[in-house]
Amino acid sequence: MAALRDGDFAALQILLKAPSKDAVRQLCQECFSSPPAALGPLAQRACPGLAVSAEEAEQLVSALHNLTRHVVYRGLTRAEDILCLFPENFHQNLKNLLTKIILENISAWRNEAQASQISLPRLVDMDWRVDIKTSSDSIVRMAVPTCLLQLKIQEDAALCGHNPVVSALTVELSKETLDTMLEGLGRIRDQLSAVANK
Amino acid sequence: SSQQFSALTEVLFRFLTEPKEVERFLTQLSDFATMNKISLGPLKNIVKSILLVPNGALKRNLSSEQVRADFIALGLSEEKASYFAEQWKVNSPTLTRLAVGQTLMINQLIDMEWKFGVTAGSSELEKVGSIFLQLKLVIKKGSQLENVYVELTLPQFYSFLHEMERVKTSLESFS
Repeated sequence: MAALRDGDFAALQILLKAPSKDAVRQLCQECFSSPPAALGPLAQRACPGLAVSAEEAEQLVSALHNLTRHVVYRGLTRAEDILCLFPENFHQNLKNLLTKIILENISAWRNEAQASQISLPRLVDMDWRVDIKTSSDSIVRMAVPTCLLQLKIQEDAALCGHNPVVSALTVELSKETLDTMLEGLGRIRDQLSAVANK
Repeated sequence: SSQQFSALTEVLFRFLTEPKEVERFLTQLSDFATMNKISLGPLKNIVKSILLVPNGALKRNLSSEQVRADFIALGLSEEKASYFAEQWKVNSPTLTRLAVGQTLMINQLIDMEWKFGVTAGSSELEKVGSIFLQLKLVIKKGSQLENVYVELTLPQFYSFLHEMERVKTSLESFS
């Protein structure tokens, strides 16, 4: 998580050279979504559009990243709270524009942060099928129902960047196992309701 | 004699219903040999041949009548064959269940552990307050156990529960 630094607001004023409000909006979104490691390349791409030096572009991109992430971290939702962040001598119109852009994007950004937070591998999909086993090497004739459960599991998003690894795990459950599992899941549901009702 | 036969049959069936108790089976056999003054070697050979009948019968789902007929064809007296067939009838549910249990299962789910909690905050979001559920699935892959960890959101959990209940209904309708 990036913290706001002193030089950041000075760097933000470079945005006054931006060709349009939409360009500013675009840059804000890209700076928020970019992980710190990808800020360098992002600055290089932004350079020509802003007609600034590579160094200035880097400072700007870094500053925007810090500002947007800081607002999302603190969970600021009101214009006044965001406006407060800016120093007194900051360019008025730019301040208002940035605040407006941030407010437009705040809930999408919050969701993005939550979706990409660290976690154990996540369940992304689940399919099942019921088979009847009719024969095997240990017993020639039978009619035993069994369940095959396929879980699609995605590895931690942070580790995989933009290409998350999804693995499929197929598990077989007998009726007894399923009953036990349902018992456990039922207990989870009851505890969740108890927590929700507190 | 018929007493000896029923004692031997008892030992055999006890082994068949608990196939893991090999030590115990061998001890009981050697006790039987000593008590009846038979040497253990020939006894073991006889027992090996006898065991072929119930094992084959189990595989082919034979009725107790068929088991009796098989034994008679092999030269056993009617009385002893009937006795064995009776024991077979009594024990066959257990034996069938054991055979079914031995049937191949792919990635069998052995156990499931869970915990759920609340994410209070993260490096990107100071205050979160969302519920997470973590499952640990213990799976048998071949002869080894593997642990798989999965995290679910609350909606996913309810969806999962719903699907599992549907599976249960489906399995029950086929039982």
